[in-house]
Amino acid sequence: MHHDPRYSHLRALIVEDEALVAEELSERLSRLGFSVIGTADSADQGIAMATRERPDLILMDIRLRGKKDGVQAADEIRGLLDTSIVYVTALSDAATVERAKRTDHDGFLLKPFQRTDLQSTIDIAMLRRAARAREREN
Amino acid sequence: MSTPAFSPSPCEQPYFGRNQLLTLGLLTALAFAPFLIWPSLLRGLLATDFLPHAYCYLKSSGLIWTHVIADALIGAAYMAISITLAYIVHKARRDIPFHWVLLAFGLFIVACGGTHFLDVITVWIPVYVFSAAVKIFTAMASITTAIVLPLVVPRVLALVQQAKTTEQATVELRASEERKEALLREVHHRVKNNLAVICSLFYLQSTHTEDQGTVQIFQEMENRVHSMALVHESLYRSENLARVEFAEYARALANDILGSYRNPEAPVRLKVELEPVVMSVDQAIPCGLILNELISNSFKHGFPDGAGGEIKVTLRSTSAGACTLSVEDSGVGLPFDFDMNNTKSLGLKLVRSLTRQVRGAFELARIGSRTSAQLRFRVDSHAS
Repeated sequence: MHHDPRYSHLRALIVEDEALVAEELSERLSRLGFSVIGTADSADQGIAMATRERPDLILMDIRLRGKKDGVQAADEIRGLLDTSIVYVTALSDAATVERAKRTDHDGFLLKPFQRTDLQSTIDIAMLRRAARAREREN
Repeated sequence: MSTPAFSPSPCEQPYFGRNQLLTLGLLTALAFAPFLIWPSLLRGLLATDFLPHAYCYLKSSGLIWTHVIADALIGAAYMAISITLAYIVHKARRDIPFHWVLLAFGLFIVACGGTHFLDVITVWIPVYVFSAAVKIFTAMASITTAIVLPLVVPRVLALVQQAKTTEQATVELRASEERKEALLREVHHRVKNNLAVICSLFYLQSTHTEDQGTVQIFQEMENRVHSMALVHESLYRSENLARVEFAEYARALANDILGSYRNPEAPVRLKVELEPVVMSVDQAIPCGLILNELISNSFKHGFPDGAGGEIKVTLRSTSAGACTLSVEDSGVGLPFDFDMNNTKSLGLKLVRSLTRQVRGAFELARIGSRTSAQLRFRVDSHAS
């Protein structure tokens, strides 16, 4: 995984309640070139940080501390700002995955994941976001 | 025995015991005895020196046929009902409590049917004495049923209560089963989560060194833990929480290892040919670890200096449960002086130990320039 100049000016937020997994994600994103603005461990904290910092990318876990889960958080955040949301979750029961897939998002990654999966998922997510931006300009 | 579907057991009661047959014969003999002793009685019974019932209806054909058809239909229906009852008792008498009550009911209904048939006959043939005799028999059958029925009421109610309790117990059992399943699912989820944290730890540690050899060691450890996490992932997703679809698992694992060794300049293709095999978690974990070592070895040693090629993973099984898992690569091949039992490779040491654990046999061979690793083992039968 090498520093990618495409991502050097982009900012990322991590919403994940498992501190070490959040740390790993943060490390991997930094190596890709992102500047990681912080880590949230609950949906509400994630929503607050996202609206304040307006990151370009959010890695979102589904099971979080507190009542709200990652799918609800993603829904609220996408209603407020245009950012790329990639679900990163170990939760693989079909009903939740279905619910997550119905919300507006740019990628889905099941934990435990391999580093190439993370990179390709983020590449696709960023391309989709760029395409949306171009559409708005036209 | 009249019902071959049930296996006969020594304590099984025949339909009619010898005593019951004797009693039945005796009763029949007693019933016919008077007619044999006094033949005039039979003549009296079948006496027809009365006016046929048709006269009462003043030979009005509409009225006659209404009565005849209605009585015939009622009689036929009674017969059909009693035949059905008799059939039920015949088929399931062991499972029906008080089947003799059903038989008494049947007899009562047959008798009722008889009186209706005789009502049809007496429209034209005035056998009123015989008709009266049938009515006396019907009255006796009806009275017997009427007296016997209240006697079994408490036992029937007790049975209903028992059935209710059983149903309740079944519902509770099912609920407890569902709770247990949810709990087990949660356990697999947590185990998988914890293994993911261990993977994160290995990764984080690897970022604190510049030495490529050390980084590779951490990457290998991460892959090993990942191969275990995938088993729990597969269990968590499957319908049956006790079995792993190994082919599906192996495909996912092989792809993940390919991902972790991917070299864009020298592509190594992965080919998988996997037959469906189901195994328990106790077998899937060591088999998964072995597969991880074999594929990793192919990547690490088969293609030095950035060479490309192919790694083929196959899983075959026979109906008897014998399984062969093999990993073959088109790389540089094993060194000619290679000795499996005298290797310093940690990967192969792990394979050797894990092969013992699954009571299998392992073979590593050079076929031309290809390297072939083969694990043969028997799938545990309690996986289903």
